[in-house]
Amino acid sequence: MPLTPEEVEEIRKILGREPTTEELAMFEAQWSEHCSYKSSRLLLKLLPTHGKNVLVGPGRDAPAVEVFPGVAVVFKIESHNHPSAVEPYNGAATGIGGIVRDILTLGAKPIALLDMLYMGNPKDPRARWLVKGIVKGISDYGNRIGVPTVAGDTWFDNSFNTQPLVNVACVGVVSTERLIRGTPRPGDVIVIAGNPTGRDGLLGSSFASKPLGEDPSQEIGAVQVADPLMEKLLIDSIQELASLGLVEYVKDLGGGGLTTAVVETAADFGLGAELFLDRLHLRTELTPLEILVSESQERMMLVIQKDKLERALEILRKYDVPYSILGVFDGSGLIKAYHSGRKVAEVPARELARPRTILRASKPPADRTVLTAPIRDLPLPPLHEALKTLISSPNIACKRWIYEQYDHEVGARTVVKPGYGDAAVLRISPEDVRGIAVKGDANPRYTSIDPFRGAANSVAECYRNLVAVGSTPIAFVDEPNAGNPEKPEHFWYFEMMVKGIGWMAEELGVPVVGGKVSFYNEDHAGRQVKPTATIVGVGALEDVGRTTTMGLKYVGSPLILVGTTFPELGASEYLAVVHGIEAGEVPTPRPSLELRHAEYVLELVKEGIAVSVHDVSLGGLAIALAEMSILGDVGVDVDIEAVACRGCLRVDEVLFSETQARYLLEISPDKLEDALKIASSKNIAVSVIGVTTSRKALRVRSGGNPILEVPLDTLKSLYEGSLEELLR
Amino acid sequence: MGVYRVVVTISYKRGLKDPEAETIHRDLILRYGYSSIKEVRVGKQLTLLVEAPNPEEAVRLVREMCDRLMIYNPVIHEIQVGLSA
Repeated sequence: MPLTPEEVEEIRKILGREPTTEELAMFEAQWSEHCSYKSSRLLLKLLPTHGKNVLVGPGRDAPAVEVFPGVAVVFKIESHNHPSAVEPYNGAATGIGGIVRDILTLGAKPIALLDMLYMGNPKDPRARWLVKGIVKGISDYGNRIGVPTVAGDTWFDNSFNTQPLVNVACVGVVSTERLIRGTPRPGDVIVIAGNPTGRDGLLGSSFASKPLGEDPSQEIGAVQVADPLMEKLLIDSIQELASLGLVEYVKDLGGGGLTTAVVETAADFGLGAELFLDRLHLRTELTPLEILVSESQERMMLVIQKDKLERALEILRKYDVPYSILGVFDGSGLIKAYHSGRKVAEVPARELARPRTILRASKPPADRTVLTAPIRDLPLPPLHEALKTLISSPNIACKRWIYEQYDHEVGARTVVKPGYGDAAVLRISPEDVRGIAVKGDANPRYTSIDPFRGAANSVAECYRNLVAVGSTPIAFVDEPNAGNPEKPEHFWYFEMMVKGIGWMAEELGVPVVGGKVSFYNEDHAGRQVKPTATIVGVGALEDVGRTTTMGLKYVGSPLILVGTTFPELGASEYLAVVHGIEAGEVPTPRPSLELRHAEYVLELVKEGIAVSVHDVSLGGLAIALAEMSILGDVGVDVDIEAVACRGCLRVDEVLFSETQARYLLEISPDKLEDALKIASSKNIAVSVIGVTTSRKALRVRSGGNPILEVPLDTLKSLYEGSLEELLR
Repeated sequence: MGVYRVVVTISYKRGLKDPEAETIHRDLILRYGYSSIKEVRVGKQLTLLVEAPNPEEAVRLVREMCDRLMIYNPVIHEIQVGLSA
């Protein structure tokens, strides 16, 4: 997005003169929405960012939390929505590259990737082409740098046909004493390491800060080719530099390129810098302007003390990482850039780094009250048909087609693999029994109908997923994906999503330690995609041997449902795929129940009372039952009369309601009494709804009357085959 | 009707980075002394047998197929479509 006339006037005031073309380009890059957060910064202050485990909060390239004494997890989320819309393979791959480098900046070893993909209808040719390219781009890049993709979230919806959401996250571990937490000082040397700079990705952030053009194939300037080979060298060399204490500070050259990396660092530490642009290693001849704002991938800024410089460069040479000594930081507060002996820019760092924040106008769309009105008089469909339709829905069906393309085991840390548990579980190191759980979640339908509740529910679902594998949630990062912030009806969704995330995280006592914001997610006609709040969470497990997966384990175990079910079919998957309605009241977020139920589930897992756990979310109780059954290859026999359900009038409300804060548990056959005793001592609403069976079918009764019976084989082939069928 | 052998070559557009080619050039070709080789480009090649009334039609058909089925991405790739002996 080019600078507005008002912004140019402001720049004149800052400089006290006419800006040079180089200076204008620096301002355009840095003041883009993508780099400066000018429209979002004030609202992001609503998020709770502090907590006893937080080592590094928002502001750096990535945050860090202490998950065990002396062990830090560094994790972050990023979006590559716009690049992926024009070149899915490289767009998604460079997204992975960027998020991995963010993790490197604190000296951590990247151990896992997550991909949260909100994509178009697989029946649409362009959408399908995008899906395939995106998945291939992620898998090729992840596999080549040797970091497994262990978890994620997937959603298909027409609103994403031309503008998909590609949200990726990386998780790294590092001992707390090796965490790079130095302070750049005057005299420290600025080294740019990694790929030579080219013309690719020129002003890419500016590109990501405007709507897509009508013909996306004309956006070549903003596309970068991913280079996982160089990324791998950066991963290895930076970890070695960190372990030897040779580097004070590291920053990724991401959006805004060289300008953003230098200016933000200078501004954060009250410094200035002298840059000698002609010293930078280039791929082709570039003008000073191009050098300042190119977004060539796989480049990093290393800040090194003078007396350590030679030893640090030695390491870079050992790994064959190209580098240039670009300049030095000083105490002037000014960024001065020279090229061939000529000064091309002199800009105060602080003013360049932080444009004036804008509190954008915000207004709910006119049809909102229509959208959220309670739904009445639904016809009751044949239940077995409804179940089969739901289990085949691409939002529910097994995502094996996607994660089979990923290597999810490199590094030998993965304990719970994609598709087996509600979250992925990884060991801290291959020989450690301690582990972390990670998961990413969003529900674009919820947030498009009621952004506040929807975003709060994304946080809650992520929390439940972490709990379901037996981990204690430690921290979240977030990525609200919204439309055009200049349109009040779009900005309102962003505002409400941030408020929903902040509220729920605060209530749960889990901080949001970092994140990213993506705006301008709209098609060329100006329609925003379904606004989506993506949440990634990390939990801690003392013993990965005590984790729980969701597949049923035994025949004859009691099944208990934790939590009361309410008639909450609004905005549900059932309503959407069976009745074709995307509206209604989004299920009520229930933070205090989330906390109490999580405590209960964690105790049952720890005591070995619960042997399988699954959170009840998309598709409701029926889908939770089906998934546990399919994955364990064990049947179930359930009586819906036994389900604690307040105010439910119809059987579909019991089966498909998406009431929050619920878990479905398989209890060890001889421990039902213990489970109930603990529930009653903690005053938790639990229902013993049925039992696992050797008969391979999902059976639902209403007292003595059978109301639904589907053979497991049927469910399994629909669950496992539907997505592949659509994408093949 | 004849049968024609049509070759499609897909490569990154000039000016875009070609990491695989650069790695082959740097870590293989130059390392083993072939310093007279100045540049490498990597691409993908498809060879198709096409039934068509004439060679021009065979090439036209393949070009159309490449565009419609998005065999390449015009944003970053260039393609050459030609007849092979």
